[in-house]
Amino acid sequence: MRVVVADDSLLVRKGIVTLLREAGIEVQAEAASADALLAAVDEHRPDVAIVDIRMPPAFDDEGIQAAHALRAKHPQMAIVLLSQHVDFGTAMLVLAERPERLGYLLKDRVTNVTEFAATLRRVAAGGTALDPEVVQRLLASRADNGPLSVLTEREREVLALVAEGRSNRGIGDRLGVSERAVQKHVTAIFDKLGLAPGEDDNRRILAVLLYLRSAS
Amino acid sequence: MSVLRLSESTPALWRFTDPRPKTVAWVALWTGAIVLELLALLPVVTDRGAPVTGPGIVFSLVGGSFAACGLIAWNRRPDSRSGALMTATGFAFFLLPLLGPRDSELAQTIGNLTADWWIFFFVALLLTFLTAGRLRTRFDQALVASFALPVVVLQVLSMLVSPPEGNLLSAFPDAGVSDAVDKAQRFTLGGLCVIVAVVVGARWLRASRRRRLALLPSVAGGACLLLFAMVLVNDLVTGSRSETLLWIAACSLVSVPAAFLAGLLRSRLARGALTDLMRTLRTQRNVSLQQALATTLDDPLLTVAYRLPGSLGYADASGEPVLVPPLEPARASARIEHDGEELAALVYDAGLDDDPELLEAVVAAAAIAIENERLQAESAQRVLELRASRERLVAAGDAERRRLERNLHDGAQQRLVAIALQLRILQGRIRRDPEAAEELAAAAGDELALSLAELRELARGIHPAVLEHGLAAALESLASRSPVPTTVACALKLPEPLELAAYFVASEALANVAKYSRATSASVRVWRAGDTARIEIADDGVGGADASSGSGLRGLADRVEALDGRLSVVSPPGAGTIVAAELPCA
Repeated sequence: MRVVVADDSLLVRKGIVTLLREAGIEVQAEAASADALLAAVDEHRPDVAIVDIRMPPAFDDEGIQAAHALRAKHPQMAIVLLSQHVDFGTAMLVLAERPERLGYLLKDRVTNVTEFAATLRRVAAGGTALDPEVVQRLLASRADNGPLSVLTEREREVLALVAEGRSNRGIGDRLGVSERAVQKHVTAIFDKLGLAPGEDDNRRILAVLLYLRSAS
Repeated sequence: MSVLRLSESTPALWRFTDPRPKTVAWVALWTGAIVLELLALLPVVTDRGAPVTGPGIVFSLVGGSFAACGLIAWNRRPDSRSGALMTATGFAFFLLPLLGPRDSELAQTIGNLTADWWIFFFVALLLTFLTAGRLRTRFDQALVASFALPVVVLQVLSMLVSPPEGNLLSAFPDAGVSDAVDKAQRFTLGGLCVIVAVVVGARWLRASRRRRLALLPSVAGGACLLLFAMVLVNDLVTGSRSETLLWIAACSLVSVPAAFLAGLLRSRLARGALTDLMRTLRTQRNVSLQQALATTLDDPLLTVAYRLPGSLGYADASGEPVLVPPLEPARASARIEHDGEELAALVYDAGLDDDPELLEAVVAAAAIAIENERLQAESAQRVLELRASRERLVAAGDAERRRLERNLHDGAQQRLVAIALQLRILQGRIRRDPEAAEELAAAAGDELALSLAELRELARGIHPAVLEHGLAAALESLASRSPVPTTVACALKLPEPLELAAYFVASEALANVAKYSRATSASVRVWRAGDTARIEIADDGVGGADASSGSGLRGLADRVEALDGRLSVVSPPGAGTIVAAELPCA
């Protein structure tokens, strides 16, 4: 898998690059700004762009602006947004728009390089990855109303893990149940949310979309 | 609230300062009036001497009523000569009834000679109700003087040619000449009476509503004069006196002092309206002051003219310019003052000048109301200022939190992420490549030290921990970090909010000194003057700092003002800068 890393902090960028390379991921280019990122992507056509949200010049949401531009120009490329903290604002809006091939993670997650590499792969394969912290906050902030109120506690737990971008097997591992049991829950969730039978991956994304929209 | 007073420029003031007759003279006048009235009535009571006619009795009462009403009016309005004129008319009336019936020929002669002298005072009185008893115009003076022809000249002439009974002046008694003189006397006297009546009537027609009220006694007097003219002409035509006309004339004379007293009483009644005015102004918030005053004074044209700030002009509440004093003679103006400062002027019907007490009371009420309006406007303004400053404080707090978040995000947090990443890398290499791992560990250690330093700096920005050791120590610490050599003089312990404010003032001011002043030295001084703590940061730099620009100083001013203090910046170009804050500490 080939990636491009954009982060204005040299130390952090080098750290990420070093860790990814040691995990066997090919880092094609590094960028210190949004403009450099766009140029690097145009040049290297990576599978995933890893983008810090705050970058120069204004240190506001340049990363998100860049992600918009990248998605318009390279819809097949996956993007993982890195942030120093959980921000429900603009990042949520970007995700809710079109969650496939998109991840939103706290920067700290990079230090667990194995898990981070797995996330990169899932997103590159068309999935969605939400930081567990974000999911926690969404769960906490979600009132009893909304379309998700029809789900049981367990089903919501499963949906949260789906939103994190985990596979049925990963969810089963996390919850200590079999993959089959997870599949049952997932099917129940799809039924309850009225998602028509079809391609499983597609339905997973739709469920996440619903999940995100009910949060924002 | 100070004592409100009318300014010297209004005619109302001299009304109160004119001396009224001394007590002795006062008692003498009253006693004289009563004694003379009794003496005049003596023939009626004792039935001595010539028979007394009905109109004669009334005439002898006229003197007393004029004198009494005149004295009362004189006492109430010592500034106006109307009272004195009326009193004089009354005393003059006594002359004929007192002297005429005497046996002494001299008394009778004097009595006849002066029989009609009262008319001078009476006419003067009628013409001057609006000018406080003063004959102001040549015409009025001439009109009064012209009565001398029938009353003095022709009277003397008449007595010279009249029969000698009770007439010491009888020199050339001649019935024919006497008759001719009598006719001339009657014609001139009657004519002059008609002229005065016409003048009075014309003035009444021209007068404003309020002035017409003040002129009522004058009109009554004019009517009397017309009646007298009729009596005189009637005598000539019919050859005998009409008793009826004489009755009416005698009775109508009494109406003049009665109307005048009624006028005085009316102004007392107007004081009741003043109570209503105060109630209106107190209870109804949005009633216009001008409206309320116009209603109270029954003067729809009344204007409250506000002094335009920084100019000599006036304008009404809607901003229309108003001329003070007014051009029209029928309008007058009075200053409305508070603590010697002119707030506004009242432009009113000049007829109100006849009632100075009411005018003064209304002006006082207006001053209170205007002062009240001003205080309300001031407090509304203060509320706006407070709201703005509160919003700025909140905004400054938000901005400060945002700044802290940025600093944490871009500084310590970023470094910690980097350290975490480095430690992961180190973890992967520690067995394979111990030397590289050692380097990484050292780098991570350096990063951590930097992070700690940054966090300390941030924490001090949130709340200077150094203040726990007192303001002096905190200021020393600030001074020691300042790139410009700075001395500190502070030997004082203040309540915590004040120390914090003083610290931030010093911190911001010293930061400005370092950034802009190009100073070679600076000083921080804190001392106490009475109930005020004062902190002053001075430098010898280029000056020219602008207190109004820059959010730093504005924020400091808000912080200081939140403690009821005051921030000032003195910074003449080329002569250094002094930033000073005064903080009240009881």
